[in-house]
Amino acid sequence: MHNPHPGLPEIDYIKPATLEEASRFLASHAGEARPFMGGTDCIVRIRDGVWKTKYLVDVKGLDGTDGIRFEAGKGLTIGAAVPMNKVAAHPDVQKHYPVLVEACHWVASYQLRSRATIVGNICNASPAGDTIGACMLLGGVLRVFGPDGMRDEPLNGFFKGPGKTNLKPGDIATALFLPLPPAGSVGRYIKLGRNRLGDLAIVGVTALGYPDASAASGFRFGIALASVAPVPLRASKAEEILAGKAIDEGVIAEAAQAAMDACTPIDDTRGSARYRKLMVRNLTRSALVDIWTKIRK
Amino acid sequence: MAVVEKQKTNNPVGKSVPRNDVLEKVTGTAIYTDDIQFGPGLLHCRVVRSPYPHALIKKIDVSKALKLPGVKGVVTGDDFDEYIGLYLKDRHLFARGKVRFVGEPVAAVAATTEEIAEAAVELVEVEYEELEPVLDPEFGAQPGAPLIHPDLGSYERPNFIFPVAGTNISNHFKIRKGDTEAAWPQCAAIVEHTFRVPHVQHVPIEPHVAVAKMEENGQMTLWASTQSPFAQRALLAKTLHIPESDFRVIAPTIGGGFGCKAGVTMESIPCAVAMKFKGHPIKLRLTREEEFYTNFVRQGLVIHLKVGCDKDGNLLAFENRMYWDGGAYTEYGVNVTRAGGYSSTGPYDIPNVKTDSMCVYTNHPVGGAYRGFGMAELHTGVDQVMDMLAEKIGMDPVEFHKRNCVQGGDVLATGMVIHDVGIKECIDKVAQALDWGVKEPPSSPNKLRGKGIALAWKAPAMPPNAGSSALVKMNADGTVTVSVGGQEIGQGTFTAMAQIAAETLGVPYESVKVSGPIDTRYSPYEWQTVASRLTWSMGNAVRNAALDAKKKVLDMVAEAWNEDPKDLDIKDGYVISYKTEESISIKDIVVYGLPKPNDQGWIGGPVVGAGSFMPTYVTGLDAETGQGDRAVVHYTTGAEGVEIEVDKETGRITILRAACSFDVGKAINPALVKQQMEGGFVQGLSSALFEGMQLVGGVTRNPSFVDYRIATAADVPPEIDTFIVEHAQDDGPFGARGIGEHPLVPSIAAVAAALHDATGLRITNPPFSAEKVYLALLDAGLVE
Repeated sequence: MHNPHPGLPEIDYIKPATLEEASRFLASHAGEARPFMGGTDCIVRIRDGVWKTKYLVDVKGLDGTDGIRFEAGKGLTIGAAVPMNKVAAHPDVQKHYPVLVEACHWVASYQLRSRATIVGNICNASPAGDTIGACMLLGGVLRVFGPDGMRDEPLNGFFKGPGKTNLKPGDIATALFLPLPPAGSVGRYIKLGRNRLGDLAIVGVTALGYPDASAASGFRFGIALASVAPVPLRASKAEEILAGKAIDEGVIAEAAQAAMDACTPIDDTRGSARYRKLMVRNLTRSALVDIWTKIRK
Repeated sequence: MAVVEKQKTNNPVGKSVPRNDVLEKVTGTAIYTDDIQFGPGLLHCRVVRSPYPHALIKKIDVSKALKLPGVKGVVTGDDFDEYIGLYLKDRHLFARGKVRFVGEPVAAVAATTEEIAEAAVELVEVEYEELEPVLDPEFGAQPGAPLIHPDLGSYERPNFIFPVAGTNISNHFKIRKGDTEAAWPQCAAIVEHTFRVPHVQHVPIEPHVAVAKMEENGQMTLWASTQSPFAQRALLAKTLHIPESDFRVIAPTIGGGFGCKAGVTMESIPCAVAMKFKGHPIKLRLTREEEFYTNFVRQGLVIHLKVGCDKDGNLLAFENRMYWDGGAYTEYGVNVTRAGGYSSTGPYDIPNVKTDSMCVYTNHPVGGAYRGFGMAELHTGVDQVMDMLAEKIGMDPVEFHKRNCVQGGDVLATGMVIHDVGIKECIDKVAQALDWGVKEPPSSPNKLRGKGIALAWKAPAMPPNAGSSALVKMNADGTVTVSVGGQEIGQGTFTAMAQIAAETLGVPYESVKVSGPIDTRYSPYEWQTVASRLTWSMGNAVRNAALDAKKKVLDMVAEAWNEDPKDLDIKDGYVISYKTEESISIKDIVVYGLPKPNDQGWIGGPVVGAGSFMPTYVTGLDAETGQGDRAVVHYTTGAEGVEIEVDKETGRITILRAACSFDVGKAINPALVKQQMEGGFVQGLSSALFEGMQLVGGVTRNPSFVDYRIATAADVPPEIDTFIVEHAQDDGPFGARGIGEHPLVPSIAAVAAALHDATGLRITNPPFSAEKVYLALLDAGLVE
């Protein structure tokens, strides 16, 4: 039996004045200190006793963590401390990155999303993270301040395992940069939960497609899968199939099957591996058909 | 500021007046147990719990815990040797010698803060020796299964509970009516099937919380989030050897119960600790996870059914063998088993019946009362086999149900003759609302669409002599204060009681206040807020108290006016004479009385009406045949239907529309009755689609809302049609009978029937999760 705490254990709350100070503290308290943004994951995990964190280092308000900035011709920068509801309501995000808005809407509940952040969702590195797929397919790059200063961490290759990323003690993700999506791109996020609201994904499928003359099919697709592997998973084989030959229903089915074959889900309380694999196939097919219907015109 | 004239609703019975508990609840000013401040003497309590489903306790070492600064003390099973239990007295306050389920209290710590108490819990060292657990009720009932309660034969019990000593069967209820063996050969169609219903949790929004304080003089006060202040007083006073009059239970506003706050659950723990630390209030709050691990659950059920009918679809024979997974102890389980037994046919008229309803000890969480008290589990099986049998004999389910449902005058399986019931009208209303017989096309080629209907019945399950009482106090300003001992748990009982009092007295609804919180020191006795019995039983007590008060008022005025009280009445707060057409406001006179002429003294005085009610006609049932004159007080009956779509891509069920209809005798407040129907249907739907405790090796694998999913607004059909049917209850106030639990009862069977109609598949064991449905479609070749 997991005997939970009635409340939070004692934690020291640290409010550093600068990124440097925050980074130094985090680096010198490796294993004991965590950066704190929305808190929707870490407060729960500390209360459950899963994390034995002693220090929460509040990085909200530090350089670059605030605000949403859209630069025409370049892209979008989302500060690490910006809650999802603000991201989803931002007109530039709605106009240029609608798949991210769709993904945000599936995270927990409205109340939670007024605290939860996109960068937090990424750094938490849950294979079930709803917004991670969209950020990966959109070519997202994390801005990270570490002991050696600022650096960029592209999301492709960022995830190492459940809860494990390229981030090291002392690293603070300050913002996410999303380049402008390719012209004519259309995206979808389809999430399957046990019930319709507030559940974790049994399976989540993000897909993004756009015309690309350099591809044999004339189109290029990105597919990212949630909850079916130790990390958020790109279905590269399926992406290759869709780029490689003229797209029709059969090719979409072939790609969906390739996505299913690529994933390695487990049996858990939320669903069986067998069901998850089948749902990857069906939901990938649904997402691709939706996108294909729109971009082929 | 403009003065708004207060609304006045005369003759409120049958009117949808607004609830009288709304304002404080929506503004957040209502006081719940956890809101009450107890000052610096307060000590917090946390509980050491068993990590094993079945184990011997070899040693408990509390020495390290006692050394932790802030810890006041630790109590264990060594401190309390009495047994406690609502029906069968089979458990101790803390485990003694043996633990029987994961989460069972082994010791409790009192400390100056909750955090210190929790830290001390981790310092209590308990040495266990694991025993083989019993994890399936059918296995547990077999000879040779490990014995969980070797002393079962010596436990104290009431005369209607029949444990089988030397086994794990804590109650075996039997019905033998007619001759099923002789009837089977005459059946044109027979269906046999086994169903499994998982454990579910009540998940009220407010977890359990209780504070106990013992004074130096030995008086105990318990503040608790509870449905049963009087039952808790009776049970705890006896177990702790405190005179009942020295044991006071205060029941502040409660954030939902659904049965899990009935009887005694965790309240015994702070009471036990309080006895060791006199003068200190001792507080225990459960976490949500503890709710799942340690509180009462709706016990699981394995039900084997066999039912047959003749070629015209008339039911001839029925056999029902139920193994209830009662868990480690049986606070309520034994009586759920009894209720499941005497109602085991469902609302169907069947001449030959054989029932064996057994409560079996297992090393699972303790089975408690849960909205429906066994009926939802029972109907999950019974109504599905009826749907199967209708199909087998080639009859439309609605026609089949109407042909076989009970009617007034039928002799039930227990030998009781049933009163007038409106179940046929309920079936018709549901069928009509769903356009029964019309096959609608699915909304897309990826969907399958179908309709299903199921029936329900339920009687208040309680001791034969469960009583109610009420006081009606008249105030000088013309208002009325009603005191009752039943709890407002969201069902709207305080509103209904105010309506009954106002109607009876002849004052506007708005003039009546129902006093809370319930306090056993000041409130009149009420058995418990369970069994959908308050509108009927407490309503009768309130009506009797109001009649008593009214008589006192009329007698006083009659004397003053020199008239016959028979010619007087109270209307809109005025005593009127039909004879002389005189009238006088009840204001002032109901407290100060009336002067005699010429200053010759006074008549009357403060008016307080008292009333009580207790059914006196329920008889015992024969232990071997289950036969008797009157098994229960009455049955509320009804029907529910749904139209669903199944998504062939995911297996997910969408409820397109739903219809519910119940015979409530008389709707005291139609809006509240309809809300009960909607709420009950939704809670039932939640258990049909999502809910189930995943018990593996006795451990709950989904002990929080992360993985124990309940229906949200997004999972519910946009409209639920509800229809009230009123065939009056002969001994109900204004003809009313209960409706609190019943709408939950048929939901699972109705969804299962619709699932069959949509897919052709029988997926019989809830919950009908998307995964279960999809994999069944796949295995049947209906999807690729």
